[in-house]
Amino acid sequence: MLVLFYILILPLLAGGLFFIPGGKKLKYQLSLMVSVVHLAASYLIFAGLVAPELHQWFRIDAFSKLFLLILSHVYFWVVLNSWHFLNRPTVYSPDKSTKIFFSIMNLYLFANTLALISNHLGLYWVALESTTLCVAPLIHYYRNKESLEAMWKYLFLVSVGIAFAFIGILFLAFSAHGTDIIEKGLFLSDLIEGSSKLNMVWLKAGFIFIFAGLSTKAGIAPMHPGEVDALSYSPSPVAALVSASLSGTALIGIFRLMQITAGTPVHQFAQVLMITGGMISLLVALVFMFKVTNYKRMIAYSSVEHIGLIVLGAGIGGAALIGSMLHMIFNSLNKTAMFLMAGNIHRTYNSRETRDVKGVLKNMRWTGILFLTAFLAVIAMPPFGLFFSELMIFRGLVEQNRFILLAVILFVLLFIFIGMSRQTFSILYGKAESEGEAAEPKSEKFNITHLSALVLLLLLASAGLFMPAVFTDVINQIAGELSR
Amino acid sequence: MEILSKITIYMVFIFAAPLFMGLVNKLKARLTGRIGPSVFQSYYDLRRLLRKETIYANSASFISRMAPVVSFVSILFAGMILPVSFTRPLISFNGDLILFAYLLGLSRFFQILGAMDIGSSFEGMGAAREATFAVFAEPIYFFTLGSLAFIFGRTSMYEIFHSITLGDPSFLVFIVVASISVFFLMITETSRMPVDDPNTHLELTMIHEVMILDNSGQDLFLYQYSAYLKILIYATFTSNFFNPFSMAENYMIGFLVYLCVMLVLICCLVWIETMLGRFKMKSIPQYLLFAASIGILNLLIYSFFRK
Amino acid sequence: MGNVLNILFCLSLLYLATTTRVTAYLQVFVLQSILLFFIVMMPLLNHLSVFTLVLPLTILVVKAILIPRYMKKKIIYELEIKTTIEANIQQFNFLLLSVFSMVAVFVSCNLITKDAAVDPIPFAAAFSSVVIGLYVIIFRKKLIVHVIGFLVMENGIFLLGIAVASEMPFLIELGILLDIFVVVFLMGIAINKISSTFAADEVSALDKLKN
Repeated sequence: MLVLFYILILPLLAGGLFFIPGGKKLKYQLSLMVSVVHLAASYLIFAGLVAPELHQWFRIDAFSKLFLLILSHVYFWVVLNSWHFLNRPTVYSPDKSTKIFFSIMNLYLFANTLALISNHLGLYWVALESTTLCVAPLIHYYRNKESLEAMWKYLFLVSVGIAFAFIGILFLAFSAHGTDIIEKGLFLSDLIEGSSKLNMVWLKAGFIFIFAGLSTKAGIAPMHPGEVDALSYSPSPVAALVSASLSGTALIGIFRLMQITAGTPVHQFAQVLMITGGMISLLVALVFMFKVTNYKRMIAYSSVEHIGLIVLGAGIGGAALIGSMLHMIFNSLNKTAMFLMAGNIHRTYNSRETRDVKGVLKNMRWTGILFLTAFLAVIAMPPFGLFFSELMIFRGLVEQNRFILLAVILFVLLFIFIGMSRQTFSILYGKAESEGEAAEPKSEKFNITHLSALVLLLLLASAGLFMPAVFTDVINQIAGELSR
Repeated sequence: MEILSKITIYMVFIFAAPLFMGLVNKLKARLTGRIGPSVFQSYYDLRRLLRKETIYANSASFISRMAPVVSFVSILFAGMILPVSFTRPLISFNGDLILFAYLLGLSRFFQILGAMDIGSSFEGMGAAREATFAVFAEPIYFFTLGSLAFIFGRTSMYEIFHSITLGDPSFLVFIVVASISVFFLMITETSRMPVDDPNTHLELTMIHEVMILDNSGQDLFLYQYSAYLKILIYATFTSNFFNPFSMAENYMIGFLVYLCVMLVLICCLVWIETMLGRFKMKSIPQYLLFAASIGILNLLIYSFFRK
Repeated sequence: MGNVLNILFCLSLLYLATTTRVTAYLQVFVLQSILLFFIVMMPLLNHLSVFTLVLPLTILVVKAILIPRYMKKKIIYELEIKTTIEANIQQFNFLLLSVFSMVAVFVSCNLITKDAAVDPIPFAAAFSSVVIGLYVIIFRKKLIVHVIGFLVMENGIFLLGIAVASEMPFLIELGILLDIFVVVFLMGIAINKISSTFAADEVSALDKLKN
């Protein structure tokens, strides 16, 4: 129970306390402490060193362990960099936002943790909606037109989507009608154990609604627009948080549903739905990769692509499932680094448009190199982890003799690579049109964001090569859960 | 004996029609702070019209002569089908609810024909409007009464209204809801306030009145009388939904309920006419559709409710 | 008696599809919330206690008083929003669409609840509410009307939850209400800001974000 205090109550308390006006620095230090404690706790839980005894409302299984670790990890890096981010000079005046920044971040951590370890879909829903509410003001951090519009769209689309997910949860409750699951209180663990007793038609309907609803939040096409807008116009740390951790929180709901359907006739249907969602995401990413003129939006679509791959892999099952879980981890590392670097570029050039940004590699040495590295990682170059996880997904496809699907995916990925590299290289190498900027290359200091990105990318590279055994254990557990 | 009492009731019904209108006008005047005409003013109007000479336009054909009579007579027949309070009406058979609708339709049809016959562009416009709104008004009748017929498995008006009981509290809402939609129907069919303003003579906004601009004397008398009859018929139609309140088929109570409902209806009508402005011509169909969809809703709910 | 409330609920939806005024939309929402209060109260009447009253009363306070008041004061009055909703399609077609969808929902709900032990009427009423709420969001231009559409949808979902009678635990219902309240609160702030920065409170103003 004590662990729960560290991962749940502490962020809540911090979030509440920080509404009291006070020193920014103090808040930052306390938040960092909370995040370190959270990170330590989730590592302990993940490694199985701490097996907390939980109330029946909570559940920490392989899924929770993995996603909790991802959340905690991303959150730690984001908080670490937030000090640098808050103090950098901008053309906007986000003083008001800065005041509430840390309290909202802590509340976000609380809500997100709650969503991950809840053992009741209702509780999960409430927590998930709360994360939306926490993220919305953060998206509006810069308080300008674009961010306002992005916030509105994110808030509205996601709220409507999640409302649909709730209908799905109610359908799930329908499906348990007449069984003892209802009397026990509709807990997730009971649902998973007694899945064969459920009414299959309602279960199917529930899956459709929950999948479609959570897609808005996870950023699975065709429900991705809210997510993409939020990613492209929010400040970079927040974008990293949303892309790398919040998508996972929405995905865990879908995986929970897969867990319930595993071993029932609905499972196959669910898999088909997930493969479809994944494929549509890939195609949408492909189309928009050639249309975007905004490099943050480009990363956002890359996020859609990778979430699509994860969902696809989970839908295919077998080796692909393991690959998709690995992909989840690697993607979170990579996206955090990438958004942090994009934030640096944005800060220097004050523009998100690709055409305004030229010659980053020359003007911003460190950022340029790290952005390039992150880009190489995102297109799954070895030795970065994403290469191995994608390979794993392809192995799953081959094992199931789905060669046509494999060919299509490879084709799409190739063109996404082309579209993305075209933009990236124009940012990194292109020559500035106006003389003034090109004349004086700015020297860039190595700061905390670069350190973070460097560490994240090193982790990503080494994780692909030397995977700790505990990770494979947890992922195998997950695979076992989903293929009962 | 039975038939005699029926005829008496029918005659009283026919002769009371202008009184209803008179009451409405009087009350409306009082509500707006005027003294208003006498309650019997409608009778005086009718008498005056009867004395006047009937003049036809040069372009009028035999249709113009025929239309008022056919219109009036079909309304009279419709009155015979309508059950007033408890008594079985003069004409009552299975399927008479359709005859009722088509008699009223026939009356309207001839009114429209008569208006178009003269060839005046104004009257043609009025006729077009009347026909358009009739298209939207008809479904209200059929969905409301049709859902009732469907629920009770009867097709005679008298039997349908007598099958409504208060056994289930849901019927209470049903009664209110159905009467609302019939009330809408009444306002449309008789060209009352939110749909059409009977007092204006501004041609652009008129619907019913513009059709009878060229009629005079006895023809106008017939049209006016059928208008009075029509509104009373619809009012009685609405009141029939409240039949079950007179519980054990007690005639005295039945009559009292009828009177009360009539009074309430008059008050509603007056209140609506004073409080609301005319709807925009464009938005009338949507309100009529709203009333029709109430009928559809009834149909839906009760067909599933009864399974 | 429960059916009476459900019928009224459906009627309020039809009215929503007919009317063209923003304040009427809000009134319909309030009416629906009060109906929800009574629907929740109904089965509780037999064993009334302070504890069971908490949820219905919270619904009443949050949905029928706090949210409408907030919207009326902070948004409609403060921003002087024009009273007509602006629609993408003609009102008549909208009503026609709503009625047809309602019929479709009723018929399909009747079919799918045949073998389940679920009362089809509240189920269909709830689902119609979701569908019409969605239509309001799709076919209306004003942002505030979108919020009301979202709330109508939420009301439908709430009714759906009651219709199944497989109660979500009490605390979760409260959590949902709190979430919805905060959502509306945030949306209200957003609308306030949008109308001051974009000089219009319509969706058409929100077209800056493109690829």
